[in-house]
Amino acid sequence: MGKFLASKFLQYVIVIFLMLTLNFLLPRLMPGNPLIFLAGEDVGFMSSAEKEAILEKHGLNQSIWQQYGTYIKHIFTGDFGYSYQQKRPITDLLMERLPWTLLLTGLGLVISTVIGVLFGTISAWRRGTKTDANLLTMFMFLSAMPSFWVGMILVSIFAAQLGWFPVFGAEAAWSNFKGVDRFIDIVEHLVLPLTTLVLISVTSTFMIMRYSMLNVLGEDYIMMAKAKGVKEKVIKYKHAMRNALLPVATVFMLSLGFTLGGATVIETVFAYPGVGRLMFESVLSRDYPLIQATFLIITFSVVIANFLADLLYPLLDPKVGK
Amino acid sequence: MSTVLSIENLSTFFKTDKGIVRAVEDVTFSLEEGEMLGLIGESGCGKTTVAQSILRLIEYPGKVVSGKVILNGKDLLKATDDELYSLRWKEISVIPQSAMNALNPVYTVGDQIIEAILLHEKVSKSEAVKRTKTLLELVGIDGERQKSFPHEFSGGMKQRVAIAMALACNPKLVISDESTTGLDVLTQAQVIALIKNLQKKMNLSVILISHDLPMVTAICEKIAIMYAGKLVEWATTEEILNNPKHPYSKALLNATPNLSDPDREVVSIPGSVPNLVNIPKCCRFHTRCPYAFDRCLNESPELREVTPGHYTACFLEGDKNG
Repeated sequence: MGKFLASKFLQYVIVIFLMLTLNFLLPRLMPGNPLIFLAGEDVGFMSSAEKEAILEKHGLNQSIWQQYGTYIKHIFTGDFGYSYQQKRPITDLLMERLPWTLLLTGLGLVISTVIGVLFGTISAWRRGTKTDANLLTMFMFLSAMPSFWVGMILVSIFAAQLGWFPVFGAEAAWSNFKGVDRFIDIVEHLVLPLTTLVLISVTSTFMIMRYSMLNVLGEDYIMMAKAKGVKEKVIKYKHAMRNALLPVATVFMLSLGFTLGGATVIETVFAYPGVGRLMFESVLSRDYPLIQATFLIITFSVVIANFLADLLYPLLDPKVGK
Repeated sequence: MSTVLSIENLSTFFKTDKGIVRAVEDVTFSLEEGEMLGLIGESGCGKTTVAQSILRLIEYPGKVVSGKVILNGKDLLKATDDELYSLRWKEISVIPQSAMNALNPVYTVGDQIIEAILLHEKVSKSEAVKRTKTLLELVGIDGERQKSFPHEFSGGMKQRVAIAMALACNPKLVISDESTTGLDVLTQAQVIALIKNLQKKMNLSVILISHDLPMVTAICEKIAIMYAGKLVEWATTEEILNNPKHPYSKALLNATPNLSDPDREVVSIPGSVPNLVNIPKCCRFHTRCPYAFDRCLNESPELREVTPGHYTACFLEGDKNG
């Protein structure tokens, strides 16, 4: 087990380095001169001395290897550089956005997984019945709706018309809520985007769980458990669900990696200050260091989630590891 | 000797889109205490359906439509769910068709045997662990291996684990459902010898479902032969070998190579098994029977006792009374 983890860990270290290197090379392989991004249109009116000064300030006159070394050093000290557009250190920006994204997408993932697993189990257990058919229709209907549309519909009904929830943001602007009041305010802002996220992502878990459960229910060991005199409920949860959860766990782990990337569309519709929207804004304004940083965050978290999956999977499936 | 199990006019049908599949129809036979009965027939003739009907394991779209399954004077088909739960494994256990898939992959084999013991007997967990150890040693597996998972065993070992599991609650009747399928010939011989041995030692009644006629004639006292969902002949092994009555039994014997008479020609049975969907009233063997006449096409022969203890379902064989 220790050896297995050590070799896995080494693999991930290699992956991270490859990723960092690619991330370093990508903007440098793009056509054009970094001066245009750094100084904008003014670059045409600059003297060569002025240009040199700017390049030197950003370390761009060094050799590519020196630049690479500096880049790696900065990454490991948590310094992602400076956003051209927002004129702020990227680390600050990310630290501001990450908690909101984690709250929204993390909670969304957990809730949609739980709901998907529960209904997937019910549906498979009553396969061929009206319950199964109705659940299938409902979840297929949900998955067919685009997220921005669901978001807009929810906003127009529950925020604009009924006024139950705020229209946008993660908390009331210029408010000074403390303690419980702030908590309630955050929850109120969270309800609509979270509901949208759950509605559009719950179907995949439902389908995977239903299909996996159907497969397991057809297995001989389920029949054997029945023949042994095991009661239905115990067969359902102890024998069937335990096995059927394995593919769901895999998908959960994969999605976990993408939670830090936020939910771009939903965050945009609700003007939610998450990483997804930050990424969207950075792409719109060609804010290269910021784009790089957000991409890097996503790749890092995918790798970490994969490593977590490697750690947890042997506990779930005795056939893996050891 | 007393009768342990008697099956009377058992019929199990499956509802499909194309019509009703009469998978088992009007099957009658019984089993004495300490007797080993071979239930023989080609693939798809309903042997396993009979076994599953006995334990009431038939699931939608299948249904036991009529008949009686009397175990020690009690009709299992009329038993309540609670009676069934306590009766399964305690009175009748199964050695499944493919032990490869009959063990739940996420639990240790010990846990699966212990589950059966704890379900049916008021013993402590440590007592059950001890008994599991004894059971595994009985079938020639190191008792400490109960902590292993199914995938850590070979196919033959899994089969023996399944046998140990079948004996966990000292049942009176064991149904071995083609439990050597998929094993190599040597392992098959070992497993069969083990079953025979344990049967004698524990005075078990065994229904040995198989399509291996020579093997069944070697170890069973009685043989019941099925064809296309019907029982065609039921008698002692000697009677079947020396004095087969039904044309199918005769053809089956002719189609089996015989070591003691290697010069005899092996004759295959021409034609193929009829489709059991909406099959009309007739002798189901008439399409392949060299002796078929008008009556066989329009009437279904009933199982009759032609000589004491020898039953067959053929119009050519007269009643013992006339």
